[in-house]
Amino acid sequence: MTDCPRFEGEGMKYIDGEMSAVERAEFERHCAGCASCRRELDSFTRLDALAGRVKMVDPTDAFWERYWRSVYRRVERKTAWVLMLAGALMIAVYALRQLFESFHRVTFETIAVLLFAAGFVLLLVSLIRERCHQYKNDPYKDVKR
Amino acid sequence: MRRPSPEDEIPKDVLAAWVGGSEPAFALIVKATMRRAYAVALGFLGNAEDARDVSQEAYVAAHAARKRFDAERPFFPWFYRILRNRCLNALESRARRPEVSLDVVAERNDPGCGPERSHERRETAALVWKALFAIAPEHREIVVLRTFQELSYREIARTLDIPEGTVMSRLFYARQALRGALEGLPEFDDLKEETP
Repeated sequence: MTDCPRFEGEGMKYIDGEMSAVERAEFERHCAGCASCRRELDSFTRLDALAGRVKMVDPTDAFWERYWRSVYRRVERKTAWVLMLAGALMIAVYALRQLFESFHRVTFETIAVLLFAAGFVLLLVSLIRERCHQYKNDPYKDVKR
Repeated sequence: MRRPSPEDEIPKDVLAAWVGGSEPAFALIVKATMRRAYAVALGFLGNAEDARDVSQEAYVAAHAARKRFDAERPFFPWFYRILRNRCLNALESRARRPEVSLDVVAERNDPGCGPERSHERRETAALVWKALFAIAPEHREIVVLRTFQELSYREIARTLDIPEGTVMSRLFYARQALRGALEGLPEFDDLKEETP
């Protein structure tokens, strides 16, 4: 527990070497007379030393060679999906127009379009329901984005 | 993981060419920043596979949104926001199944320590990594940027688009949380004794 308000800002700067020589000397003088800051400084310095022992393992060169190629493939595939979706949307709009124009008689095309539209609506409802459920149970919803 | 080159090293003409749709410019940007992007994602997600997938998806999203990027500004802080949101979304979707891998961390080299001590240090690395994933992602984020990426307060402030004073206070609360998480682990008392 930190009892001295100076520690929150200055203590971090001191540990991280972000202070000038003058600021360091001044903070050390303060610590000499402040038991709370001395205790916290000791505890946080140990914690920093402990965390400093850990490093993330750098993946192999082969990993990095594949990395860019994979990003490129993803961009390419995303473009392909966008084109296909645009095409599918245009076909759907055309099919719906045809459907309304010939609604008085049930044809094979009418049934196909109705099935497609029903499946699409069902998928949409299912996705919205899942997102609502996820949001209600999301432990990260309070994290500022 | 060594600290990658700062994003400022990407020349403005490369950034402008990318905004204009140049694929070679995009390749240059990805290759210059991919190590840092992967490390950031690893800090959020805890395992190599998710970090690779999510960071790559973030590049795809950035590429799609490149028209909104101002080529006069540094790339990484802008990209970081996309990457961060992607990571948080990934955490959200696997919230009930956190997968933290211990293979992605190691102890820093200490030429003076023998095999037995080296084993202990590996265990310490695993312990700290586990504790890091017991704290909130916004706390973990700032500890990763400072301790693993070794960014200065100024660089962190620019990356997160927050004042330097906020960096200090966020670091304080994040380290306090990390200390709390470590103290909850039975092995921590032994470590306290041996830490210099």
